[in-house]
Amino acid sequence: MLTDPSFWLVQGLNSLQLAMLLFLLSVGLTVIFGLMNFVNLAHGSLYALGALIGYSIAEALGSVWWAYALAPVAVAAVGAVLYITLIERLRSAGPLPQVLVTFGLIFVLMDAQRYLWGTDALGVTGNVPFSGTIHIGVEPYPAYRLFIIAVGFAVFGGLYLLLNRTRLGAEVRAGVDDAETAAALGVNVERTFFLVFLLGCALAGLAGAVAMPAFSAEAGMGVGILVPTLVVVVIGGLGSLSGAFVGSLVIGATLTFGTALFPDFAGVAMYAALIAVLLFRPHGLLPARG
Amino acid sequence: MLEASGLFKRFGALQATRGVSLKLETGARHAIIGPNGAGKTTLFNLLAGEVKPDAGQILLDGRDVTHASPDARARTGLGRSFQRNNLFETESVALNLALADIAHHGTGWHVWRRLSADRAARARAEDVAERVGLADALARPVASLSYGARRQLEVALALIGEPKVLLLDEPTAGMSPEETGRMLSLIDGLPTDLAVLIVEHDMDLVFSHATRITVLNYGEVLFEGSPDEVRASTLVQDTYLGGEAGAC
Amino acid sequence: MTFRHLLAAALLAVLLVWHSQSEYYGFELLAEVAVFAILAMSLDLLAGYGGMVSLGHAALFGLGAYLYSWLGGPMVGLTAPMAMLGATLGTGAVALAVGAVAVRVEGIFFIMITLGFGQMGYEFFFQNKALGGDDGLYGIRRLDLSSVGIDLSDPGSFALAVILCAVVVYLLLAWVLATPFGTVLKGLHANPNRLRALGLRVHAYRAAAFAFAGAVAGFAGSISAQHTQFIAPHLLNWTTSGEVLIMLILGGLGTLVGPAVGAVVLVLLRHELSSVTDYWGAVMGGFLILVVLSRQNGLVGLTERLLHRRRG
Repeated sequence: MLTDPSFWLVQGLNSLQLAMLLFLLSVGLTVIFGLMNFVNLAHGSLYALGALIGYSIAEALGSVWWAYALAPVAVAAVGAVLYITLIERLRSAGPLPQVLVTFGLIFVLMDAQRYLWGTDALGVTGNVPFSGTIHIGVEPYPAYRLFIIAVGFAVFGGLYLLLNRTRLGAEVRAGVDDAETAAALGVNVERTFFLVFLLGCALAGLAGAVAMPAFSAEAGMGVGILVPTLVVVVIGGLGSLSGAFVGSLVIGATLTFGTALFPDFAGVAMYAALIAVLLFRPHGLLPARG
Repeated sequence: MLEASGLFKRFGALQATRGVSLKLETGARHAIIGPNGAGKTTLFNLLAGEVKPDAGQILLDGRDVTHASPDARARTGLGRSFQRNNLFETESVALNLALADIAHHGTGWHVWRRLSADRAARARAEDVAERVGLADALARPVASLSYGARRQLEVALALIGEPKVLLLDEPTAGMSPEETGRMLSLIDGLPTDLAVLIVEHDMDLVFSHATRITVLNYGEVLFEGSPDEVRASTLVQDTYLGGEAGAC
Repeated sequence: MTFRHLLAAALLAVLLVWHSQSEYYGFELLAEVAVFAILAMSLDLLAGYGGMVSLGHAALFGLGAYLYSWLGGPMVGLTAPMAMLGATLGTGAVALAVGAVAVRVEGIFFIMITLGFGQMGYEFFFQNKALGGDDGLYGIRRLDLSSVGIDLSDPGSFALAVILCAVVVYLLLAWVLATPFGTVLKGLHANPNRLRALGLRVHAYRAAAFAFAGAVAGFAGSISAQHTQFIAPHLLNWTTSGEVLIMLILGGLGTLVGPAVGAVVLVLLRHELSSVTDYWGAVMGGFLILVVLSRQNGLVGLTERLLHRRRG
């Protein structure tokens, strides 16, 4: 097995595909974290929401492409409601109330999902793009996974440009670096927070919609992916775009190769990585603040 | 008692401390003055252990504490006050003093007796409260104290550890004249074998209470001497005291 | 504090009256309430008083349960009291090692590192086939007190015994909080930097508090294993820690009796709601959000404020 190059290629692609999903989830979380010092444990539930809404859209409109386009918008709308009703009040409340409220939100959102979509795993029946397989050596490999990888890289590129080439990006960078100074320099920090939060929600929705055709959609699917996402955020460095990307690659590889090679230790290895980073590089591998 | 030699500290592009040396004998009353940005606060933090020097050495009571943590220095006999009041705001004066006493005597591991059962600790707290003029305020919550009384408590917390060296960071900052007077008599009443280092803006206080003065400028020692020598120094006059007088 | 002791006595009275009116189902609930009261009080010492919010506390609880089953089971074969002692001390030792590392970071990073350690434990038991993997372990023995005429296989007696344990833990924690150690813990919450400047070994005290709270959590775990006579990895999962934090918030952080009240409310709510609706999670989550947003310190904080207002 270990001498077979196609094993390494397939597992490499698998880990890249998982990494890209983690990236889509963690990038929103990390910028919210870095910019607002806000911990959103319900971020994974937004991912599940994206998958479920995406499923319904795809079934209703007959194309998954509509799901990719509309699910992020719908999830961002839910995010806007959450922001206005809850999150704005918790901004300066410290980590414990934030952890608890968003922990409570996990249950509320999960039951809302169960109520609306039931508890079964839902797979789209209509046309899914890239549903064929390609051959890697002798192994057939699902082309859709390559599509997920492509989406991840495209989003990374788009966010990189957004962050480095636009006014909003400059405001975000200034806010992550030092919110007080940014506000003093005339940046509307509140508005920036709000936009970033919505963008983070939309990306979680996109991740759900993109994952749905491959892994089906299920109420509560966000709880399992939340913890690896948090690990990515801490390992990469709070508020850091490239940190989230690198962290996702590290955790994607740890989980994929760990499960393939040392099934008993894959989960443990991920947390060991988290602890090591917290102790030796407490600001993460690629910290956002200089 | 406290001896610093050749201290250097750089923050990014800013060389905050350049080769500062300083020596406090037992019972010294030593003041550090200098214009804003001269590196007084950095020097204070270097001595207290909040920041570590890039080069140089700090000896406390003959022991090398250059790389020691703030708590290790405190255990070696270094007491300090904070420029901004740094107290246990929601607790009473007595409990603030009790915490300082526990920290100094290491009695926090005593799980076999109630805090209230340690009569010796209470006596020490009452004694220090008496010395700083807070004897009547022991039961009051810190939040109800006047600004000046909080500054007195700030010094009391440092004193309860019976330090050999006491670092005071602008003890009269923001005080009314009466409060300043009370703080000055507190400083006058400090044990004569205690070495005291004061960072202070108030020149009257410095020249009336210090026996030795170090003038900092741009992170360097510009001049060191007795108050009279400092007053007589044209160098100090030109760079600092003159400018200060002109500004006021 | 005296008022809170009175509240604790009142809570005990309520539990005893409830016990006298209960049959099988009530006894099971009471035992569960008392186990979680112990666990929640131990987390209150750490998070409510010491300011160290841990998402890994349930992992120590679960570790205690596994240690008891392992030490008291056929693999080691200790007597039940020795297994309980071993589970308590063993969990405390693990907590000391974890705490020595974890207390080096603060705030949200402490929450994350305890989450990491806890999930590591969860994964370990989840993957460990010798300890039942994700199916868990069945047939765990209870303490045998027949020599003194108490039959702990009887649900009523068992529930009473667990309530007694909760009372002992309450008294122990209340004592510790009144000692210089407890005072340091509160001071560390309020202003750790000042204590450091005064010469206190901050990390050592934090690690000791983590170990002590962990030992009590392990003790609760050893009781829980005897109660359900079944253990599974989900005991260690971070969501269990989250539920215990909910108990703290419901009852009142840093009040000791509050978390016990929170345990009663949450366990009852969960059982009552789950028999009425499938969506009890949403009700509970919504309730939690409202409590946090109300900015009251739980039920105990609210009671104290109302009494204060009437008097003042």
